[in-house]
Amino acid sequence: MAISDPIRVGVLFSQSGPISTIGTSQMQGTLLAIDEINEAGGIDGRPIEPVVYDPRSDPATYARLAERMVSVDGVKVIFGCYMSSSRKAVIPIVEKWNRLLFYPTLYEGFEFSPNVIYTGAAPNQNSVQLARYMTSNFGARVYLVGSDYIYPYESNRIMRELVLQHPDSAKIAECYVPLDATEADFTKIVNDIRDSRPDFIFSTVVGDSTTAFYRAYAEAGLDPRVMPIASLTTSEAEVSQMGRHAAAGHITAAPYFQSIDSPLNLRLLARFRRRFGDHVIPNLCWEAAYLQMHVFADAMARAGSDEIEPLLPQILGTEFDAPQGRIRIEPSNHHTWVYPRLGRVDATGQFTILQESLRPVRPDPYLVNLALGDWAVNLSAEEC
Amino acid sequence: MQPTDRRPGTPQTRHGLSVSPHGVPATPSLLKDLRSLRVLLLHPEDNDGDLLRRQLQRIGCQVQAVWPPRPQLPEGVDVVFLAVRPDSIALDYSWACAEGAPPVIAVVTYENPTIVDAVLRVGAKGVVSSPVRSFGLLSSLVLARKIGQEIQAQARRIAKLETKLAGQKRIAEAKTILMQTRGIHEDGAYNLIRDQAMAKRVNMEEIATAIINANEILSFRPAGQEVKR
Repeated sequence: MAISDPIRVGVLFSQSGPISTIGTSQMQGTLLAIDEINEAGGIDGRPIEPVVYDPRSDPATYARLAERMVSVDGVKVIFGCYMSSSRKAVIPIVEKWNRLLFYPTLYEGFEFSPNVIYTGAAPNQNSVQLARYMTSNFGARVYLVGSDYIYPYESNRIMRELVLQHPDSAKIAECYVPLDATEADFTKIVNDIRDSRPDFIFSTVVGDSTTAFYRAYAEAGLDPRVMPIASLTTSEAEVSQMGRHAAAGHITAAPYFQSIDSPLNLRLLARFRRRFGDHVIPNLCWEAAYLQMHVFADAMARAGSDEIEPLLPQILGTEFDAPQGRIRIEPSNHHTWVYPRLGRVDATGQFTILQESLRPVRPDPYLVNLALGDWAVNLSAEEC
Repeated sequence: MQPTDRRPGTPQTRHGLSVSPHGVPATPSLLKDLRSLRVLLLHPEDNDGDLLRRQLQRIGCQVQAVWPPRPQLPEGVDVVFLAVRPDSIALDYSWACAEGAPPVIAVVTYENPTIVDAVLRVGAKGVVSSPVRSFGLLSSLVLARKIGQEIQAQARRIAKLETKLAGQKRIAEAKTILMQTRGIHEDGAYNLIRDQAMAKRVNMEEIATAIINANEILSFRPAGQEVKR
């Protein structure tokens, strides 16, 4: 292979179907990082060449396209997946061929594959912080609403166990809607919320139906100052889709918000808008997609190869100055040290950061005993 | 789909599994125990051994790795992963079948009758096959402990029932002796045993045993002579 041959990498995010908004943003975050790396001369003079496919939000298509990337396109490393079902579909492929998958999404934990690097938050890096903030500021009577698949089931189990440790706590209800739920699906739920008056709502509704839920809430005239929706997945992308009016006042826990006021983040956002325009909205998964491409490129420059054997030791333990702060890939479990933050949507559709961690929190994907009072890291209290 | 029809249902209730009175399926205690679990890894220090140790530590267990296996277990082991290999099947595994022994999960490289037989002999409650994958270990671990706990609970229950049954047989025998020697009815015999037990503050089985023993001594006849009842 010539010294200047491009390095082909797989980019596998859904640009169509119910999770296309987040999927497209993850793809753009990936492409932005590739642009930066190539503009800086590539990896040892070799440019990165993305092989981009659209798995259309369908797990079987993810598996088929991942197989094609590896066997036909000769890709050694794949960047992709959002929903757990898509990750579970791709893992057998990368394990079979001994390739690497970078997965830039928060998920429910309880997984380790030697062929995956996980760059989103595990439950000990977002659920614990969100449960504590919500119970201490609003109360512990929770109403759980989720999309009907594994991530919401497990997230709700975690949230329930955290919230029910609190005195005077209660689970008012727990219900699930189809992934393509519309506003009509949520009308009954929102009416029930109005009647049962929980202290807060925990939403694990993902994808485009998030908009339908928040709009149904707004149209029912419910007040987020009294009874907000708390979420781990409602990001700037969903806020932009549903409109500021429907989103304002609701709360999200995430390692990254656009509103992080650091020179690095502001420069990156400006560069992204120049390159891609305003129609794709940066969010936590966009940032994870961006940072993981740089982690790969730095590691490959040191390893001199994109084969997993030399590459993996260079990835594990590595640190990178990401927009959220300096992150680290934990060698023992392949997950990422991230900075938990709590944000509330303001009138402009951006998140006001209520609290943020001063230090990165160690990922602990197999943590079974999540404790409400046992906070490993003190978040700063900028506004409580 | 009518989402609110399910409330306060959960994914678990839909599949008919048990739910606590509050409608909240709590995380099973067998899962919550994982972090305090002391795991003995009886496995050579090779790729599988290394992967097993790392995944168990990732889950949060306390792992002690030893090879070759010793004739006795260290103190305070909750579960054992044991490599069942052609070169180690002749060793002494009597500890594995002792009462109260921790459950054993066999790690097998071969699936031939010799190895399967060895897996049965160590009383394995689970099997992990080589090459070991990290995925699936947590389930094996939880399941083996669950089966081990159930077997131990059942063994305790059976022992209790056997004692109880033997006692009932003795009481019946003592009643028969009293009915024959005193010419009383079954109820009268029963009341007599019960009253004696209460007066002497012992249980009825002990009184019954005393009656049987006394009867054997009192009705002794030289060998060959039929006992007249």
